[in-house]
Amino acid sequence: MNDAAYDVLVVGSGAGGAMAAYELTRQGHKVLMLEAGRHYDARTETPMFRRNADAPLMGASTPDKDFGFYDSTVNGGWQVPDEPYTTAEGTEFLWWRSRMLGGRTNHWGRYSLRFSEHDFKGKSRDGLGADWPFEYDEIAPWYDRTEALIGVCGTNTGLDDMPPSSEGVLQPPPVPRIPELLIAAAAKKHGIEAVPMHRAVLTRPLDDRAPCFYATPCGYGCSIGAAFQTTTSLLPMAQATGHLRIITDAMVRSVTTDADGQVTGVAYIDKTTGSEKQLDAKVVVLAASACESARILLNSKSARHPQGLANSSGQVGRNLMDSTGAGLSALVPALMNRPRYNEDGHTANHLFIPWWGHKAQAEGKLDFPRGYHFELGGRFAEPGAYVGGDLQGYGPALKQQARAHYGAYVSFALRGEMLPNEHCYMDIDPSVTDKWGIPVPRFHWRWSEHELKQVAHGLETAKAILETMGATVGELPAAEDAIKKGGEIIHEVGTTRMGDSPGDSVTNQWGQTWDCPNLFVMDGGVFASNPHKNCTLTIMTLAMRNSAWLAGQLKAGAL
Amino acid sequence: MTADTDGAAPAYANRLTRRESLKLLAALAASAMLPALPACASTSTQDAAAAGADEGHWPELDLQPVTGNGYGKDPDLMSPPEAPWPLTLAPAQLSLLALLSDIIVPAEGQSPSASAVQVPTVIDEWVSAPYPDQQRDRLTVLSALAWLDDEAALRFSQPFSALGAQQQLAIIEDVAYDKGQTPRRFQRMAGAFARLRNMVLAAYFCTPEGMEDIGYMGNVAIAGDYPGPTPEAYGHLETVLAELGLSGFAYRVA
Repeated sequence: MNDAAYDVLVVGSGAGGAMAAYELTRQGHKVLMLEAGRHYDARTETPMFRRNADAPLMGASTPDKDFGFYDSTVNGGWQVPDEPYTTAEGTEFLWWRSRMLGGRTNHWGRYSLRFSEHDFKGKSRDGLGADWPFEYDEIAPWYDRTEALIGVCGTNTGLDDMPPSSEGVLQPPPVPRIPELLIAAAAKKHGIEAVPMHRAVLTRPLDDRAPCFYATPCGYGCSIGAAFQTTTSLLPMAQATGHLRIITDAMVRSVTTDADGQVTGVAYIDKTTGSEKQLDAKVVVLAASACESARILLNSKSARHPQGLANSSGQVGRNLMDSTGAGLSALVPALMNRPRYNEDGHTANHLFIPWWGHKAQAEGKLDFPRGYHFELGGRFAEPGAYVGGDLQGYGPALKQQARAHYGAYVSFALRGEMLPNEHCYMDIDPSVTDKWGIPVPRFHWRWSEHELKQVAHGLETAKAILETMGATVGELPAAEDAIKKGGEIIHEVGTTRMGDSPGDSVTNQWGQTWDCPNLFVMDGGVFASNPHKNCTLTIMTLAMRNSAWLAGQLKAGAL
Repeated sequence: MTADTDGAAPAYANRLTRRESLKLLAALAASAMLPALPACASTSTQDAAAAGADEGHWPELDLQPVTGNGYGKDPDLMSPPEAPWPLTLAPAQLSLLALLSDIIVPAEGQSPSASAVQVPTVIDEWVSAPYPDQQRDRLTVLSALAWLDDEAALRFSQPFSALGAQQQLAIIEDVAYDKGQTPRRFQRMAGAFARLRNMVLAAYFCTPEGMEDIGYMGNVAIAGDYPGPTPEAYGHLETVLAELGLSGFAYRVA
């Protein structure tokens, strides 16, 4: 196949791009994929079973490897060499990137929670933010297909925050561990349920992927394919059709247009040579990540598109949202000196606490509009570069303290929904460019009262549960101090949001830009809101649904 | 590591005048420490040097920053670098660190001492790393080592490693606890000791021997479903749930 033979050009090989390639090639369309990072093979590059002691600095985080030595992220993290970003004066924002095939799916947390009817229609309920341009019922079958394809373990809990999957879709979750069971009991006393987390981790075989063997943190990547990442699943599956070609080290500068303003292809930098190249395609799908795709659009100015491509609404780069994040942990005396066993499990929480406050919110009993969940921590984790506990002294007595404290701390990680606000957006820095001369994003950020009140509520709730477990928590930090920085939870979405009207959104419900029918966005940029549930499952589900729609358009000759 | 000579050395510190102790500190800084680490200059603060002063003494080390590259943003994860950067501790510092590491984690039953599982080497790699956190720890660790020799000289007129075990422990006892009652003159060292103690424990528990000591049983492949807690672990949970009045709220494991 020569380059001109491709129907669709997909930018990005992560959650959205790989799913688009999977669905389009499955339906017989020729896809050319561009990835800005290097080739990566999880089957040969994942450090399975490697111990912290074998890594420099006991595997600790460094500026080179922000999430620790063994984290799978390649050439990325909070900073990418030669590819800066900027923040407006007085604001802070962190932007996690990776430069590798499969993108951030190689290291993500694999938390895979469905958005609910509540989540898609927040504005209808409380007047804030934006509704999504479809109903939950329309996307539910696509959630089923996506969950079955990627493999998700969990249960149907019947809770109003967790819409059920169809029978037989979910794989069984691993049994809870002791600290989770104690938290669950304490939470229950407060009327709050802890239930199995849904994770894209196999507990049963699927295709040529093996089930989890309950060792090696998923953030390292997974050579056996148990923890979902596109490099061991969607990409090889799409390649097996013979319809996918992938070019790595290809950094897209802009989407190209003709004199009429119609999309013709992309211009990209071949990083191996530094030269700029041009590719033509019938359809371009941007799935480079919310902020990278918005950057490409804003850098694709022309006489017909003076504000950047697909930006007649002025919404490209606006409505930038992350999840709220905050944490609280404490020593639980009841867990000290407890019997040892292997608590690795699937290496993340087996139980979590979904949002329980829909009813209270509807009754006006809460002073913030949107929900959050708690991810639960605390187990006999592999020893690393830091030892917990208020340790004193030295010698055998000291070691006894360390043993007593081991596995006796529990933590609550709050992840909540933020609302879009006019102070949170990205634009293009007027003076800074990256190594290839491409202008870089500039971020603007300010949390609103909604998020701060939500975090304050979460901290109070976590404290109450911890105290019920017999922990001493002490004075809580102020919400302003406790809340993580924008971008720090790595759930940035919304910069090319979808909607019902070209006046206030960038794409329609299919991710098709209002301004250019043959230009689509299939990453988190299209999110109309950012529910507290982690974004990746919905990115993939939308990419599958919208690629299927795109395939239909191609077959019908509409594009 | 050092000769175990109980109560051998006389407590010279009591006989020293302030002037003499100042001179001794300066001499130690110039002779004992400097040749060992040419890039490091130590000037003890004036009040500091005064034994018995409230603030205590503190070696104000003027360290040259460790420069050079880290392991980069795309290191080989399958074969981590054996020597990612040059180690920087001088032999005398390493020996003192080993002595201190074994005071913090001595051999005990089946468990080896810290130095027997190369904890000092791990800490040498740590304090020699060209990253901000490790550079901060480098100042902490080198200051703590220098402080121990200064304090040993003030009290016993000898470097720390030349002291008998009881003398060494007399100093360690003064700085190993930080519960709000630590005298002001020991507080700064107590903070440094706490950081060093944590590094020693971390490096120790990361080893196979240390994992066995603390009871980490993971990082092994399991065929089939994750087995979950043992009957003994469930039994312990039932007990604590009852003690906390939470038995009625227990999560039902299918």
